[in-house]
Amino acid sequence: MTKSQLITIKGTKDGLVLRLDDHCSFSDLLDELKEKVTSSVLEGVSDVQLHTGRRFCDEQDMKSILAIIHTSPNLRVSKVHSDVISLEACEKKLIEEQSETYIGIVRSGQVVRAEGDLVIIGDVNQSAQVIAGGSIYVLGRVKGIAHAGANGNKDAVIAASWLEATHLKIADKMEIMTDELTVLSEQPEMECAYLHKNGQIAIDRLQELRHLRPNLATFKGGI
Amino acid sequence: MGEAIVITSGKGGVGKTTTSANLGTALALQGKKVCLIDTDIGLRNLDVILGLENRIIYDLVDVVEGRCKVHQALVKDKRFEDRLFLLPAAQTTDKSAVNPEQMKKLVLEMKMDYDYVLIDCPAGIEQGYKNAIAGADRAIVVTTPEISAVRDADRIIGLLEAEEGIEPPKLIINRIREGMMESGETLDINEITTHLSIDLLGIVMDDRNVISSSNKGEPVVMDPTNPAAIGYRNIARRILGESVPLMTMGKTKTGFFGKIKSMFGK
Repeated sequence: MTKSQLITIKGTKDGLVLRLDDHCSFSDLLDELKEKVTSSVLEGVSDVQLHTGRRFCDEQDMKSILAIIHTSPNLRVSKVHSDVISLEACEKKLIEEQSETYIGIVRSGQVVRAEGDLVIIGDVNQSAQVIAGGSIYVLGRVKGIAHAGANGNKDAVIAASWLEATHLKIADKMEIMTDELTVLSEQPEMECAYLHKNGQIAIDRLQELRHLRPNLATFKGGI
Repeated sequence: MGEAIVITSGKGGVGKTTTSANLGTALALQGKKVCLIDTDIGLRNLDVILGLENRIIYDLVDVVEGRCKVHQALVKDKRFEDRLFLLPAAQTTDKSAVNPEQMKKLVLEMKMDYDYVLIDCPAGIEQGYKNAIAGADRAIVVTTPEISAVRDADRIIGLLEAEEGIEPPKLIINRIREGMMESGETLDINEITTHLSIDLLGIVMDDRNVISSSNKGEPVVMDPTNPAAIGYRNIARRILGESVPLMTMGKTKTGFFGKIKSMFGK
């Protein structure tokens, strides 16, 4: 009886890919993986990529797969691909990528929070806070506190028609707007704040954003 | 049915009580039936400014706790026949003696009998403030051209906007010193209104007679020539729905003596 292969090994230009069957039982898959790892097929190979197809592997499953592969001293998993994610992870991703809009003035003592990007149409007054997991865009004056990338996203930016915030925070960095920094922008019109490569918060013209953070654009196509 | 207007500011000492007394008086002068409620329990002043302190028998807490009827606690201002009344605050207890539900009920009852119920709010954003705004239909925020007062006004406006059942608040800029505003030592009217971005109900000049008349127990608004009184009268007319142009500043400069002064100044 010829057993159909549960693990196919494929060579691509990025390296070797182990494609794991997504229909068989998990224990069968692990058994064959054990065989493959110890066999001579993978001799001389160091980096492999995993592709789990449509099988949903939780953390525990992934751990056992990796444990088997790592029994061979030479093998290292460089990347794991999957065609499926859990509903929870999907919802989290959706929230992170969506943009919420607040119309009105954020007044002293008020806090406006968003999991993803945050668009404020109106002013952010002194001692008011706007906090977003993603970037913050303000059509109006920021005179209070703005915290972008609150969950650790270092690529988040704060862009505003008028940026004269008292405190700027991006991910875990904070900048108190001292005179030194504000001297750079006497006319704080149409500006954006971002985390510079040197780890400090920097302020630049809004027009520079497309060079600084080209990945922020979600618009595809066009002329 | 009348309207209940709360006069608030967040910060203390900007002139809430003076404004309440003067607006109440101005509305009574316009022929409206007005009741003022002092909600600053424990630190009452409105009675003093109106010169009614020694006629108080019962107070707000007595009414709320059922020790007397509302009409027994009301103090009538004899200068205005039957048009101006005060419901004084208690002085012997504190803000926690009353809760918002009781205030709501009381204000609703008062609105039946009066054209305007003006509620003088204590400073702060705690219990006293919550009591004061409970029954209000409209809110007036008083500020002065000081950054600290404007900051607190911003906070209070935020709280009022989040409140259901109250119209968007309107702004009074009190204690304007023309000279300081013109020389840029204080915020100017434009800066304040663009920062707070709510409708401006009126401005009131700083005048020494405001203090002296308060000390006499006679609201300054009764003197029709006083600049602060004109401000208050204009505001009262705007509350009644008239459109009154904003007082122009810098008028005093070009007066007769000013001209002579400037001639010699050259």
